[in-house]
Amino acid sequence: MSALTKSVGAVLAAPAMWLAALIDKPLRALQNRAGFGGMAAFFLFPNMAIFGVFVLLPLVVNFAYSMTGGSALFLPDRSFVGGEQYARLLTCENYANPRTCTDDLFWVAVHNTALFVVLQVVAMTVVAMVTALILNRDIRARSFWRAVFFFPVLLSPVVVGLIWRWILQREGLLNYFLYQFGIEPTVWLTDRTWAFTAAIGVSIWAHVGFYALILLAGLQAIPRDLYEAAEMDGTRPSRVFWRITLPLLMPNLLVVIVLVLIRAVQIFDEVYVLTGGGPGTATLFVTQYIYEVGFASLLRNPGLASAASILMGAVLVVLTLIQLGVARRGEQKGKRS
Amino acid sequence: MGRITLTGIEKSFGAVHVLKGIDLDITAGELVVFVGPSGCGKSTLLRLIAGLDQPTGGRIEIDGRDVTRVAAADRGLAMVFQSYALYPHMTVRQNMAFGLENAHLPRPEIEARIAEASRMLEIGALLERRPGQLSGGQRQRVAIGRAIVRNPTAFLLDEPLSNLDAELRVSMRAELAALHGRLKTTMIYVTHDQVEAMTLANRIVVLRAGRIEQVDTPLNLYNRPANLFVAGFIGAPSMNLIPATVTGVAADGLACSWLDGGRVSIDAEGGAVLPGASVTLGIRPQHLKLARGHEAAIEVTVTLAEQLGAETVVHAQTKGGQRILAVLPGQPAIARGEEIALAYDAADIHAFDAEGKRLRGN
Repeated sequence: MSALTKSVGAVLAAPAMWLAALIDKPLRALQNRAGFGGMAAFFLFPNMAIFGVFVLLPLVVNFAYSMTGGSALFLPDRSFVGGEQYARLLTCENYANPRTCTDDLFWVAVHNTALFVVLQVVAMTVVAMVTALILNRDIRARSFWRAVFFFPVLLSPVVVGLIWRWILQREGLLNYFLYQFGIEPTVWLTDRTWAFTAAIGVSIWAHVGFYALILLAGLQAIPRDLYEAAEMDGTRPSRVFWRITLPLLMPNLLVVIVLVLIRAVQIFDEVYVLTGGGPGTATLFVTQYIYEVGFASLLRNPGLASAASILMGAVLVVLTLIQLGVARRGEQKGKRS
Repeated sequence: MGRITLTGIEKSFGAVHVLKGIDLDITAGELVVFVGPSGCGKSTLLRLIAGLDQPTGGRIEIDGRDVTRVAAADRGLAMVFQSYALYPHMTVRQNMAFGLENAHLPRPEIEARIAEASRMLEIGALLERRPGQLSGGQRQRVAIGRAIVRNPTAFLLDEPLSNLDAELRVSMRAELAALHGRLKTTMIYVTHDQVEAMTLANRIVVLRAGRIEQVDTPLNLYNRPANLFVAGFIGAPSMNLIPATVTGVAADGLACSWLDGGRVSIDAEGGAVLPGASVTLGIRPQHLKLARGHEAAIEVTVTLAEQLGAETVVHAQTKGGQRILAVLPGQPAIARGEEIALAYDAADIHAFDAEGKRLRGN
């Protein structure tokens, strides 16, 4: 290390050293009084306080709200109704038919969300996989293309929704180009099927870069020797994919599937900006239902919204536990091989 | 069968010219070892033969068939990789069967080949295990087994023992030699370890900077290195290379002045050099011994003596500053700073001209 580097380092470190000397005595005194475990609690306290105030407390309050009724906003003004809100949400003659449910809108949202999750998870995984496979090849300007696919991840979901609304609305960019080529414009966002498809497509466009990146990392971790051994063995490219790439990518793929699943269940912002849940209730998802019932509708019912969010939270907890299990299994597998 | 002929092989990666006109004829059943320092192009040459890379120029023939542009899988070769390249998610059996399944061989044929190879390599008990459950030596055997089951025209081995510990390397080396003896298939073996090269090879190809420096049997390389590079590269420790000046030329010998005015006469064809020419004389450390009388000797001061038990490696320096290395048998009592005389036999001295080429006749 040169003398210059040393002296620059010393100058930069000086304030930290001064601060360390300043708090050394009080910290030692505290440790003498509180012990080693007490010190750990002392350092953890700021984070736990923030977590408690902004996560744990709202969770408890939310649960309390779900046990109350009426439209009053403040908890003391609300009447205790026990599990009535849950009963309202969960009472159905036939769960496959929302019209037979007490709260039909909730079940429309559940059905929409379930369909969205199934289609989006499959489509997102396939698109992310294909993207990662292409970006992993020795293509020209590979870094540029990686940046292109990752760029939408950096955008705010609201911006994503606005961009695509601008493209897909009746007088939008897409219809303008279709018209230029003599193709009949389509009402993308006011047709139920197209709107739902657009919701899936836009969410894939916005997030595929992130999942492709996870898969790309997995692909790059597969040793090149294995592909060369397969080449020497005369393996067809499709067989290389199914027998070598896919099994070795499975830990990353499982993580991607579970992450996509969790995010798909929570889908709200970009679709809300894009379609507002319409046409009708075609793109109404559970999170939007909670938002509408809790805050936006004229007949707002914070208790019902809280109960719905508690139910959705329970589903997310299950999915998160699955994700943790998958990640742990992947780690153990990685250690074994 | 398994004759491999390389003619004018060239390989460039962008502006970097890695292989420069390689000509080599490997006869069927031969075990040829490519050696050379890092970056000399030995692994690249092996990959070109395997078909994993394409040469920029030249021609590769296997049994007379031009395979230069033929896909790796269609060359009938099998490769053992430095990292073994076993598929980690498959069992040993599945690893060995994979290539045969690609060739659509019937299942009984596949099982028979696996059974034969696993018997030969003593890996029968490992067939249902995954590579992660095997030791380095076991993985190495499986990698070789995967190559054997394909009944290849030739085996290509890319530093296959470099990931093993020293003890295992010695035993695997012996097993590989025995395997070659049994299979009698052409093998091309890449290594930077000259002990592996010397012990395994029928012929050694010494490469430097993308060119072949010498192709010969191990002992010929040791006894008659074609140039200064081979002289310095083959043999451990390296040959002592000492600058000298020709003082007299005869039909069958040279008289030279070396080491602070000392005189030495060597058997070498003198026609190529004239009196006054600069030459390099080489003598292997093993060919020096402690002088006991009036033998021809080099007087040196010991700078370090490494006692290895069976032999002692002496690092020394002449009065003129020329470093000399000697490997003396046994455990002579030699201490740092001691002045000793190292005797030599003039017949053991190699002579190289100013361009580094061996002078014929010695």
